[in-house]
Amino acid sequence: MDIADLKEILRILEEQDITEFELEQDGVKLRVCRASSSAPARPLVSAAAPADAAPLAGTLPAPQAAAAPAGPAPEAAPAANGTLIKSPIVGTFYRSPDPNSQPFVAVGDRVKVGQVLCIIEAMKLMNEIEAEIAGEVMKIHVESGQAVQYGDPLFTVRPA
Amino acid sequence: MFKKVLIANRGEIALRVIWACKELGLKTVAVYSEADADSLHVRFADEAVCIGPPRNIDSYLNIPAIISAAEITGADAIHPGYGFLSESGYLAEICEACSIKFIGPGPQAIRLMGDKSRAKKAMAKAGVPVVPGSQGVLEDEQKAVRVAKEVGFPVILKASAGGGGRGMRVVREAAEVAAAFRAAQAEAQAAFGVPDVYVEKYVQSPRHIEIQVMADARGNVVHLGERECSVQRRHQKILEEAPSPAIGEKLRRRMGRTAVEAAASVQYVSAGTIEFLLDKDGSYYFMEMNTRIQVEHGVTELVTGRDLVKEQIHVAAGEPLSFSQKDVDIRGHAIECRINAEDPVTFVPSPGTIQHYFQPGGPGVRVDTFAHEGCEISPYYDSMIGKLMAYGRTRSEAIARMRRCLEVMVVEGIRTNIPLHLRILDDPDFAAGRIDTSFMERFMPKRKAAAAP
Repeated sequence: MDIADLKEILRILEEQDITEFELEQDGVKLRVCRASSSAPARPLVSAAAPADAAPLAGTLPAPQAAAAPAGPAPEAAPAANGTLIKSPIVGTFYRSPDPNSQPFVAVGDRVKVGQVLCIIEAMKLMNEIEAEIAGEVMKIHVESGQAVQYGDPLFTVRPA
Repeated sequence: MFKKVLIANRGEIALRVIWACKELGLKTVAVYSEADADSLHVRFADEAVCIGPPRNIDSYLNIPAIISAAEITGADAIHPGYGFLSESGYLAEICEACSIKFIGPGPQAIRLMGDKSRAKKAMAKAGVPVVPGSQGVLEDEQKAVRVAKEVGFPVILKASAGGGGRGMRVVREAAEVAAAFRAAQAEAQAAFGVPDVYVEKYVQSPRHIEIQVMADARGNVVHLGERECSVQRRHQKILEEAPSPAIGEKLRRRMGRTAVEAAASVQYVSAGTIEFLLDKDGSYYFMEMNTRIQVEHGVTELVTGRDLVKEQIHVAAGEPLSFSQKDVDIRGHAIECRINAEDPVTFVPSPGTIQHYFQPGGPGVRVDTFAHEGCEISPYYDSMIGKLMAYGRTRSEAIARMRRCLEVMVVEGIRTNIPLHLRILDDPDFAAGRIDTSFMERFMPKRKAAAAP
């Protein structure tokens, strides 16, 4: 592997916002861990456009945030002592590594920092989303297969 | 035809694309950063996806987020607008790979024209007049003197690694070349780390004339006449008009033909603009090609009666151009004033909330904007809040109409350059059509003298 290959790999990892990568080739082992570049944000109108989105003629359509999203509850009330974990990327949320496996976490589970909570698929790549705090999973805001945008609520975790 | 178009942009151009899509019965998807959550493009699109925090690099330049947004909404086409990723060969390529139609030219044409030096070579090869100069870097002073003499004085020495008007030196006589060359090399080394210098003919105070072209995927290419864009400050356009007061039928036909040949030579598809420098003696030289719809496309739409964004969408969907060259008529005169959220004297940006807003109407008026009362103009993005266009049967009618519009347009709560535009329109040189790229330089000191007690 030469420096050009390495640069190309790093470029792709950054573009795809992949946080962990391991490669073994020709006796060389490469392991890259990077902090995910983006951070949380906002509610999305689900891919099936909300039925109530059509505005009355002559009125300004409501901001997307006010339109009640079809799926997850809006971030209106993060539980009193819970931390809201929001989606850092745009994609499709999955609770388990594949359709035949158990979900990564369930309500009531204790999670550690760095523990994989879910996968968000974007551009055919499975991005593992890790817990940035340790604690107990209080609520899961999305269902497998649901589209999420930057900032959508994923989990509420009570720090412990 | 597409079912759903994702607009990878914001502000007034995102709305512009939404208007075209609505008229064509296509669904729209807006993408937005957290700073634009309440913006009109988000509100008027059928669906919207938040793609990141306010910074451009995390949102409007974030290709994975944008492609992912297209995937989760099922968009089958992406319109990139202007700026941002509109000239990203990479986005065009990824769209192809993901079976999403990029509404614009192909990645090769984007990349070729995006590399200014390669573009110039390609154009020269296609027989398009380019600014005469050295083929690449000058090895030594002797070469510099020789090429300068061939090109003809005045010449300009430019640092290869420079840009934005830096690392340039005008030389007016052969005797000055050698010393200027040595100095230019030293400056280039100090400022850019690379002493490479090349030479070009110095076109003094040219007019910036650009030709709008439109091409389909079957090889049909047409031009829709020129736009005069010489009123610029630091290479930023302030006011544009179509047609140019300096260009008659014959020159328009010649420049138009050149532009069409240039586009055809790179198998161009979609809307594009070829920028030329027009010298005082009527000679013109290729400067660069913009492979996207441009901010000032509206003035061309006004004088030709065509909808360029709809045409882009038709062409991207594989349809042939809806008109041919003989169908293109230039009628009347259109002027556009870019309304910026900035101090009209110091040009310092003026973000904030628009408290009161009234936009002019009446005959011959077009306003492309996302501004409205209560609208937040954020500091993260471009200061342009809208484009005010006035159309008249003649240039003087267009000027009078524009003046009337600027006098009644209300934007309170932020500063705008409306007062600057009024003064430009009042300038005798402007009124007489005596404009070139040095206009704003000459204009600004005049204004300061007038303002001084």
